[in-house]
Amino acid sequence: MTRYKVKDPELTRRRFINVATGATATVGVMSLLGTLGGAHPMFRMTEDKKPPMEGDILVHADPAKEGTPITVADLGTTLVQAWPMGTDAEGNKIIRKGEPNNLLAVYKFAAGELSGEANVEATIDGQVVAYSDICTHAGCPVPDAKDGNGMFCPCHSGQYAPKQGGIVVGGPPPHKLAQLPIVAEGDNVKVAGFFLTPPYPYTDEATWEATKEAAKGA
Amino acid sequence: MNQWLDERLHISRLNDKFLRKAFPVHHTFFIGEITLFSLIILILTGIILALSFEPSNAMVVNSFDPGTPADPNLVPAAYHSALKINALPFGDMFRRIHHWCANIMVAAAVLHMMRIYFTGAYKKPRELNWWIGMLLLIFSALTAVTGYALPYDNYAYNTLKEIYAITASVPWVGPWLAEFAFAGRFPGEGIIPRFYGYHIMLLPGILLALTAAHMLIMIKQKHTQPQYAKRIAYKKIVGVPLITQQTPIMIMLALLFAAIVILFSAYVPVHPVEHYGPPSSQPIEGIKPDWYLLWVFGLLAIIPNTLSFDLLGGHFSAEFIGALVLPMLVIGLMFAVPMLDRAKDNMYYAENPTNHPHRLAAGIAFLALLIVWSVAGYKGELVANGYLPSASANAILWGLSFLIPAIAYGLTLAYVSAIRRLRTADEREQERAMVYGHDD
Repeated sequence: MTRYKVKDPELTRRRFINVATGATATVGVMSLLGTLGGAHPMFRMTEDKKPPMEGDILVHADPAKEGTPITVADLGTTLVQAWPMGTDAEGNKIIRKGEPNNLLAVYKFAAGELSGEANVEATIDGQVVAYSDICTHAGCPVPDAKDGNGMFCPCHSGQYAPKQGGIVVGGPPPHKLAQLPIVAEGDNVKVAGFFLTPPYPYTDEATWEATKEAAKGA
Repeated sequence: MNQWLDERLHISRLNDKFLRKAFPVHHTFFIGEITLFSLIILILTGIILALSFEPSNAMVVNSFDPGTPADPNLVPAAYHSALKINALPFGDMFRRIHHWCANIMVAAAVLHMMRIYFTGAYKKPRELNWWIGMLLLIFSALTAVTGYALPYDNYAYNTLKEIYAITASVPWVGPWLAEFAFAGRFPGEGIIPRFYGYHIMLLPGILLALTAAHMLIMIKQKHTQPQYAKRIAYKKIVGVPLITQQTPIMIMLALLFAAIVILFSAYVPVHPVEHYGPPSSQPIEGIKPDWYLLWVFGLLAIIPNTLSFDLLGGHFSAEFIGALVLPMLVIGLMFAVPMLDRAKDNMYYAENPTNHPHRLAAGIAFLALLIVWSVAGYKGELVANGYLPSASANAILWGLSFLIPAIAYGLTLAYVSAIRRLRTADEREQERAMVYGHDD
């Protein structure tokens, strides 16, 4: 009778199964990550998604007259919502509403009423002033307050004072509404440059600067 | 036929194992069942709605109001299909039933949890089911939120924008996370297909799996027994079996429940998509989330904007703290309940809430706090109508957030001790009567 001597295997079964399971799990997770990567699409800055650019004309955002250029006569102490309208490479007019945070608030106050943090240089005759109309807290469009006292966001009760440069006077918003420099062009209102401070959703200067560069370059 | 099936499938074993499950008879034990019925109705009406819904936010011509060929009236396809569902026979009705059931499901789940909490039924050995129940509550709320994004009217659009902002407020990874979850920067082309996937596949799948686990664990561990079971047969399982006694009760309850929901839906309209119109730049007057998220909304309204800081390159905004950190603390507290209040031995009997006055009082104070925060969600309206001064509204609401729960706690303790005093007086009276006979 032959006697076989059982040699210790180099690899125990347990170790083999552990290694095999680990390797399968690693490959599986790696390929799953690839799939998940596809769930996160690239952002492409098209003309309709650029922030308000120098030379844009402000047009009405009210659905009833969307796209008609705003004239100074349309403006007053009640809010007029506006989109910036630019042109693409072929010269077609593009309303930049692909980025909903481009919504603007335009007011015309009596001369001398603008105070506080408002940059009078960036207004038309110290009377017509444009801000981002997007609440810096959660990105809701901000209407006028019902009691006539500045602007009031219906989402979480943020309050802004448009006469004082769009500063926060109540509620949770972390920043003031960004002011947009404008000049008159005939009856119309033309954008003179980028927002003076980072608008919603930018929380820091660096990403806002990067977006400005991207918009200029694209 | 029974024998034929039994020979092939051994259904008698199924019967012994599951279908003879004893159900305690007490009306509060039906609240959990109502949650389950809501889920079933939600799935059925959801399937019907999904057959007619077009999950796309691509712009299409509104066939109800096409405009002119030169200037067509374009609306998102999802919004358009919501209008078409409303125009179908019973289409609006199905939307209403689906909507009301979603609200009732969360409400029933909350009531069911209150029953569990106040009778101490979360204690050993049922901690696991408390945690699964918590997950069910969270995923129900998530499913509901993804659901009201789907009609893609202006209300849904504004809600989505805000949830996007909350997601993006997470320090370090926020913007990446938001773009990942919302299929690109808001409002990306893929947002409605993505939310459709969440709402009809991912989240219901999770809900069904959790529900199955919840049920199986409940059958394995058995219900806590109501107090009367102790008097009838100590340490024995008392109740009616699933087949055949409990089943007719359940069917009757399910039919009654469905009838009430349908009656409700027939008279109370929900979320008028036509009224809000397609997504636009117009703000929505008095926009509010559903009632079960109102406390988070209120918390956001009263959180001061000064409460933000930078840490290791990450920005912790007031929004992140108000919408994610504080609610997570609240939810974490609910998760921790079985660890804060433990039993050494396995629980058989539901406890009388008045025998545990501090647990009862803490629960009521907790609910009072959520109610105060929900009321804070109406801060804008309260200020506009002169109930609160604009300048100190936050201070007052924060004060109430501490004061009202404290009062609720104290009142509950006082009330319970009064009940117990009456009860002991009654017992003494009865003992005296036993010995000396009644006065009269």
